[in-house]
Amino acid sequence: MQSGEDNRIDSELLSSYINQTFRKESHQTLPKRTDISSILIIGSGPIVIGQACEFDYSGTQACKVLREEGYRIILVNSNPATIMTDPDLADATYVEPITPEFLEKIIDRERPDVILPTMGGQTALNAAVALAESGVLEKYGVELIGAKLDAIKKSEDRELFQAAMNRIGLETPRGAFVRSLDEAMEVVESIGLPIIIRPSFTLGGTGGGAAYNMQEYREKVEHGLSSSPIREVLVEESIMGWKEYELEVMRDLKDNVVIICSIENFDPMGVHTGDSITVAPAQTLTDKEYQAMRDAAKRIIREIGVETGGSNIQFATNPENGKMLVIEMNPRVSRSSALASKATGFPIAKIAAKLAIGYTLDEIPNDITKQTPASFEPTIDYCVVKIPRWDFEKFKGVDDTLGVQMKSVGEAMAIGRTFKESFQKALRSLEQDRHGLGMDGKDSFLVRELSESKRAEWRKKIIDRLKHPKPENVFYLRHALQLGVTPEELHQVTRIDRWFLHNIKQIVDFEEELTSYTL
Amino acid sequence: MAKSKKNPPRRVPAEILRKAKEYGFSDRQLAYLWGTTEKAVRNLRKEYGIVPVYKTVDTCAAEFEAHTPYHYSTYDQENESVASARRKVIILGGGPNRIGQGIEFDYCCVHGVMALAEEGIESIMINCNPETVSTDYDTTDKLYFEPLTLEDVLNICDHEKPYGVIVGFGGQTPLKIARALEENGVPILGTSPEGIDLAEDRERFGALLRKQRIPHPKYGTAYSVNNAVLVAEQIGYPVLIRPSYVLGGRAMEICYSGDSVREYMRKAVDVSPEHPVLIDRFLEDAFEFDVDAVADGKDVLIGGIMEHIEEAGIHSGDSSCVIPPYMISEKNLEHLKAYTVKLAKALKVVGLINVQYAIKDDVVYVLEANPRASRTVPFVSKAIGIPLAKIAAKVMMGRTLEDLGVKDFDFRTLKHISVKEAVFPFSKFPRVPIFLGPEMRSTGEVMGISEAFGGAVAKAQMSAGNTLPDHGTVFISVNDSDKNDITLNIVRGFVQLGFSIVATEGTARFLGEHGIQSERVFKVNEGRPNVVDLIKDGKINLIVNTPLGEESRYDEYAIGWAAIAHKVSFITTLSAAATAVKGIERQREGNLSVRTIQEYHKEILT
Repeated sequence: MQSGEDNRIDSELLSSYINQTFRKESHQTLPKRTDISSILIIGSGPIVIGQACEFDYSGTQACKVLREEGYRIILVNSNPATIMTDPDLADATYVEPITPEFLEKIIDRERPDVILPTMGGQTALNAAVALAESGVLEKYGVELIGAKLDAIKKSEDRELFQAAMNRIGLETPRGAFVRSLDEAMEVVESIGLPIIIRPSFTLGGTGGGAAYNMQEYREKVEHGLSSSPIREVLVEESIMGWKEYELEVMRDLKDNVVIICSIENFDPMGVHTGDSITVAPAQTLTDKEYQAMRDAAKRIIREIGVETGGSNIQFATNPENGKMLVIEMNPRVSRSSALASKATGFPIAKIAAKLAIGYTLDEIPNDITKQTPASFEPTIDYCVVKIPRWDFEKFKGVDDTLGVQMKSVGEAMAIGRTFKESFQKALRSLEQDRHGLGMDGKDSFLVRELSESKRAEWRKKIIDRLKHPKPENVFYLRHALQLGVTPEELHQVTRIDRWFLHNIKQIVDFEEELTSYTL
Repeated sequence: MAKSKKNPPRRVPAEILRKAKEYGFSDRQLAYLWGTTEKAVRNLRKEYGIVPVYKTVDTCAAEFEAHTPYHYSTYDQENESVASARRKVIILGGGPNRIGQGIEFDYCCVHGVMALAEEGIESIMINCNPETVSTDYDTTDKLYFEPLTLEDVLNICDHEKPYGVIVGFGGQTPLKIARALEENGVPILGTSPEGIDLAEDRERFGALLRKQRIPHPKYGTAYSVNNAVLVAEQIGYPVLIRPSYVLGGRAMEICYSGDSVREYMRKAVDVSPEHPVLIDRFLEDAFEFDVDAVADGKDVLIGGIMEHIEEAGIHSGDSSCVIPPYMISEKNLEHLKAYTVKLAKALKVVGLINVQYAIKDDVVYVLEANPRASRTVPFVSKAIGIPLAKIAAKVMMGRTLEDLGVKDFDFRTLKHISVKEAVFPFSKFPRVPIFLGPEMRSTGEVMGISEAFGGAVAKAQMSAGNTLPDHGTVFISVNDSDKNDITLNIVRGFVQLGFSIVATEGTARFLGEHGIQSERVFKVNEGRPNVVDLIKDGKINLIVNTPLGEESRYDEYAIGWAAIAHKVSFITTLSAAATAVKGIERQREGNLSVRTIQEYHKEILT
């Protein structure tokens, strides 16, 4: 190989792009940045659990919209299965490793003006942080857009995040970072069991979990320390069973903030949101609670300092007293923002890309309505349900209990007028040969055929089973209701909100009613 | 379904059926409940005039007029989706991602949409996966965010009356309903469901191969445990055995003896005359190849010929592969091409076809043919610079390869090497077996491109998060059948690159007998410090461990898990180890350069 050859970009091509940008500019009065002409977008690499094709969606949108704006787009992604790496989508497409070493080579060769690291998930963000910290960005005079290093650090570093939240009067779960088992033993004394263990800087919370006894605690801390690239874990008070929410928030340079979508987790805290059934908009918050959450979200995005772009903020609410805690914030496009975009029709990644180059929300037209600007918050007059898809049968001996570590490999979403409709539609979208909430010839047993004595036995079995979140549990909720377990009892066992359980009961009751008819 | 109520059940009135639909019950559920067919429920529904309407996702609850056709169905009054008078084609998406059905199919669907746009045809996408590009309302002319079931797709077809439906891009999901759609009068574009079935039905496909004089591994079907052993013996060991129907957890396995067949049948399968097991001769140590091609009924464009790096027995989705192939004779290459053309014609393929081959003892065998988009289409398209899926969609719309100017592609024009490597979720699932086998378990893939094989391998490994070490210590433990020249060459390769070698007793002795020095290390159950201790202490930089079979499984798992936890590269086949030597060799020279795929593609054309 003769390195050094072909290391220059096609100067003709470049100048044509610069001209294009320039021409466009002369017609527009929008505050788009004219001091930059080329943008490096970092993709998310291979599909892994916790980082799937949502980042192809966001990256593709970003490439399209920024190219339309006349910038030269340089893209790096090692995943050939993506649309974004199609040669037509960027001016220079690098199917190369997303490592600091290779990124530096690309920067050296292409000399981009800025890097947009918020479209490629945690992989892109981590890579950008590494480049910033090693001085590469400074060396080549490359600026980060979309999220500044400070904001990334503040949102990702638990201690900084906790301090930031305290500054604006919000609470986060109690906890501390530990770097050894000894430190971990000190922390558990002040917080008590059960306790959550989350290793730092891992995808999908790899290596994390909840501990209910001291032996489990020691094991999980050790596993977490070895999973964490920096040998650090967060041990945190358990808020298992609390209700979990997410807000998708966007902010621009003029400090406009909009809430794009609220998402409620059907499964309570303790189940990773990627493994949780989720519903948009949030269904069970009171207006007061929802407004408090919105206000908090606005304060958070401002305090963290995400100036241009979207963020995903997760909250937990104690169902007993409404107390709200801030769980985390992602200063980038995420799995949930893909969901929120599809749920609302508001293209978060596309708008985030435009904000990153200087537009403000009130200047960007909503391309569905054409009349309203992107600063109009979307309104949802339907119900959206997402259900994860797991593939445990491919992994002999794996524990299929759902927890703080994400295990699903995909998801299906459905839209309908009511939760009941969307829920059943989503179940039949999963490609698991189920055609709704049971009654499809695929049930593992038929409650209607159980004898009286068997019914009591099954009741107990099912309730025991429902104590642990597992992929098939929604079907067991139906069986339990068919066996006469009340939504209240189910709520006590599963901590799933009563509203959802009542809706499922309505489906089950109506199924019963349907049996008195024929075709 | 029998239901004992006091009153005999009466015919369901319209308002109850409507309410059932409003509650999201599918026709399939109602059919099951009432002991009838989906079709009967559908007919009654239509008789009652209970059909879905399509609402628009407009961001503003209709406060402003919406321009973007993004719809969902519901049982309500007013329809907001106006069917245009244009010629339109529906593309069925791939549904939720799962192992074996990933983003590749979304790529193909989106390319289908692009092709339709270029041909001036309205594209309508149906899919239910919110993560995808295909469900971006910007991608298609019209998007229906709906389940990919027969009921939901037929409802949309009733409403839109498309010119045709493309089922060949969304992987397995749309294929399952292709036949039923056709029976309901929906025109299927591209290869007919008959052609798809022919390729999937092994008896019929076997007959076709025999008629075409194309070699295939011996196969048989067994209906009981004893029968399975008999069939396996007739075919000859080793055999690949799997259930004819796939239910959770019932994977396929390679069996070397009657005992292991019996064991498999006992624990894995509920065999019966209705549910037979399929048994194939397993071509041990064969080299495998994948071919992706596009056919238009007259010509066949052979786009990609991929050589698998791992030997036979590892699922093609889990195997790494390389374009162009590097170890195939001219004669066999011609066979590969000729068989692909023959099969494309015999199956009357219009669009994409993927054929899997194995070469053993200089004979080219066909393992299977799939007349639809395969997982490798995007990789191939990027490696060769020809958008196969897009071309396939145009061919389905009646264009010929000739008038598209892509009748032929010669991989000898490629000046670069492309390597695809699979990525596994083992770090998410502690304590699952990590050896690769006939069951696919990877979630994703990466591509490494370079001007030489070693560079492409090194890059692919880095991208997969499995960077090969430049120096240090290699731990080697191989099974008896791998104690051969190949292993010796690999180990010599590592030694020449300056690596020290650590090996378990048997392997160390074998290496010593051939003049290669290594340091012996304990197996896990032999004492301490053992190999796992060394891994944990960071004293091992690369592991080559070929599976030894049941008796040392525990050892191997422990090593594998330690390797994953401590992020040490772990190699389980000799071919991958030989490849790694090449990768390291290149990596040590330094200066792996970066280039754009546009540059690589430009070079092919000139």
